[in-house]
Amino acid sequence: MSSMATNSDLRAQKLISSYVRAGYGLIDPPVVQPAEPFLDLSGEDIRRRMFLTSDPHGRELCLRPDLTIPVSREYLASPAAGKAASYCYLGAVFRHREGLAAEFLQAGIESFARADKAAADAEMLALGLEATTLYELSSPEIRIGDVGLFSAFVAALDLPPPWKRRLVKDFNRKWSLAHDLDQLALSGAHGPPEYHGVLAALAGSDPKAAHHLVTDLLSIAGIEAVGGRSVAEIAERFLEQAALGTGTRLPKEIRALIERFLAVRGDPDDAIGELRTLAADAKISLGPALDLFETRTGFLAARGVDVRTLQFATAFGRGFDYYTGFVFELHDARANGPLIAGGRYDGLLTRLGAREPIPAVGFAASIEDLAACGAKP
Amino acid sequence: MSAPLILAVPAKGRLQQNAENFFARSGLDLVKPRGPRDYRGAIAGFDGVEIAFLSAAEITAQLGQGAVHLGVTGEDLAREMIPEADREVVFIDQLGFGFANVAVAVPQAWIDVRNMADLDDVATSFRLKHDRKMRLATKYANLTRGFFADHGVVDYRIVESSGATEAAPAAGIAELIVDITTTGSTLAANGLKVIDDGIILRSQANLVAARTAAWDAAQRETARLLLDRIAAQKRAHSYREVRTRFAGLNEAMLKTAREKFGVAAPFGGPTSSGMLTLHCPPKYVHALASFLREHGAEAVSVAALDYVYARDNPLYARLTAELERDRAAPKL
Repeated sequence: MSSMATNSDLRAQKLISSYVRAGYGLIDPPVVQPAEPFLDLSGEDIRRRMFLTSDPHGRELCLRPDLTIPVSREYLASPAAGKAASYCYLGAVFRHREGLAAEFLQAGIESFARADKAAADAEMLALGLEATTLYELSSPEIRIGDVGLFSAFVAALDLPPPWKRRLVKDFNRKWSLAHDLDQLALSGAHGPPEYHGVLAALAGSDPKAAHHLVTDLLSIAGIEAVGGRSVAEIAERFLEQAALGTGTRLPKEIRALIERFLAVRGDPDDAIGELRTLAADAKISLGPALDLFETRTGFLAARGVDVRTLQFATAFGRGFDYYTGFVFELHDARANGPLIAGGRYDGLLTRLGAREPIPAVGFAASIEDLAACGAKP
Repeated sequence: MSAPLILAVPAKGRLQQNAENFFARSGLDLVKPRGPRDYRGAIAGFDGVEIAFLSAAEITAQLGQGAVHLGVTGEDLAREMIPEADREVVFIDQLGFGFANVAVAVPQAWIDVRNMADLDDVATSFRLKHDRKMRLATKYANLTRGFFADHGVVDYRIVESSGATEAAPAAGIAELIVDITTTGSTLAANGLKVIDDGIILRSQANLVAARTAAWDAAQRETARLLLDRIAAQKRAHSYREVRTRFAGLNEAMLKTAREKFGVAAPFGGPTSSGMLTLHCPPKYVHALASFLREHGAEAVSVAALDYVYARDNPLYARLTAELERDRAAPKL
């Protein structure tokens, strides 16, 4: 933080004080963290941006590249684990950034185990806007999305499970998603599989028979199963492929529906109208996901956010796999990336070892970007 | 006298043998004037070059830092160890040894996995089922990341491996691997198979130049002479000399030979007495000999070539073009 001893620190301190007054406990996790959770949750791609080292036992350590995972780990290790708890932080994070300092300041909030998700989501955006106000940025561009809507939409479609998995996985990679649609529309599989005959013979048989068959095949070939996938898993996917057949294609109308869904954008009220029409046209139910979206919009309005200025897009997903619901970014044309970004990550804490799912939502603000774009102190 | 041009060559093993043979074929004998245990050497009768005998990994690292001018190293190592390798080094020439494929291998028992698309689906299913990501053991973390990103595979974790990577799945350390393979027999012995479109890189030993090394005028001149010899040998190696003389030999016949057999006439068309020297790719030598005799030649001689020097020097041209480009548009 040494290089940041400027007046911007005063405003950052002021911001944190206001979060503390709002009931968020100030937390300061260690700078040196185990690398594993970051690599596991953010994907291998983050590795080359991280400062990695190892301890004498060979365990990989890193300088924290963000604070969401460190704060989540502190929370899970504390007596509050599993109970509602909210934290705020102000601290340095470390990432290799082309042409920029590798150490930079982030302020942020993480809120755990709150059952009132819509209200908590709205509160995050409102608290984020508090930061831009403090830096006298009058009208940042607000982009919002909802990863949960896409998951609910895909779940409601009449598609084989492997295709659903693939679409949901690739939601955050727009190129991949477009590629998927092309591939699936062309033909279900990727050319006739090697075991076409076996697959065809398996079509319609039950999992137990498939398991036996695969076990037999392997033992005839003298192959031992190695690695973490069991024979049962291999058999299960083999069967799934059989059910899919080689000629199955993504029906044109479903593809059109997916593209129509992903094209929905505008302010939240218009968008919700469009999505309801789409659901009715397609005779599918987006159920609780849509209701949550609508309730959240209500809470945002109640917090004084002018919802007509919100730029919602169904395709907006922030590019991180751990978000599960509401996502948002506050932008200023002068900054390269978002000034403030966050969202809901309900799956993260189980991945970090929590026994029960714990809802979680939060955001991080880039202090240097806020200071650079905001009014001079 | 200015500082010498530093050429790094492998210090041990088969790679060293192959590299020394390669230079020897170009008449460049690597010597260790201070004894066989010395790690600095020279080229007999060729001034201005210092040979650094290093391990392949060190050669690659030094090229990346610009600490040596030229080096012999595998493309696999260069692309793995030097981020954005093409920005830091120039691959001047492939040397025809040290072949190895960097490939994705999975357990043979994964009969449902044939290609990267299958692997992508299996990786995601694995994460959903086990609440953790599939582990991949490799020495090639960077190549793996790039390749997997291109195929949209995200649900995996890299386990750095320094020893016998192919044993990692059987040892329970990883589900799959990325490793070099030449014949695939080591993989098969460990119950693994390479997947169909899983070849990340077909690698071989390369002569590599460091863009960021100090390239003063004298060092460039030394590089020019060095690469001239290598190019002359390379050119000689890709041709046989075919000579003949018969009265009916004319330009039209030469034109046909050019089109059919890819021959070159380095010293021009037939002389007035019908004397002709041709350079012919080895695979067409016999067909060319038949062709010439059918058209009247009494005798055709074919000989191997040691060196073919030409006015141009393609290897050096490539090096200077790349170095000039860096100078015109300096990196950030």
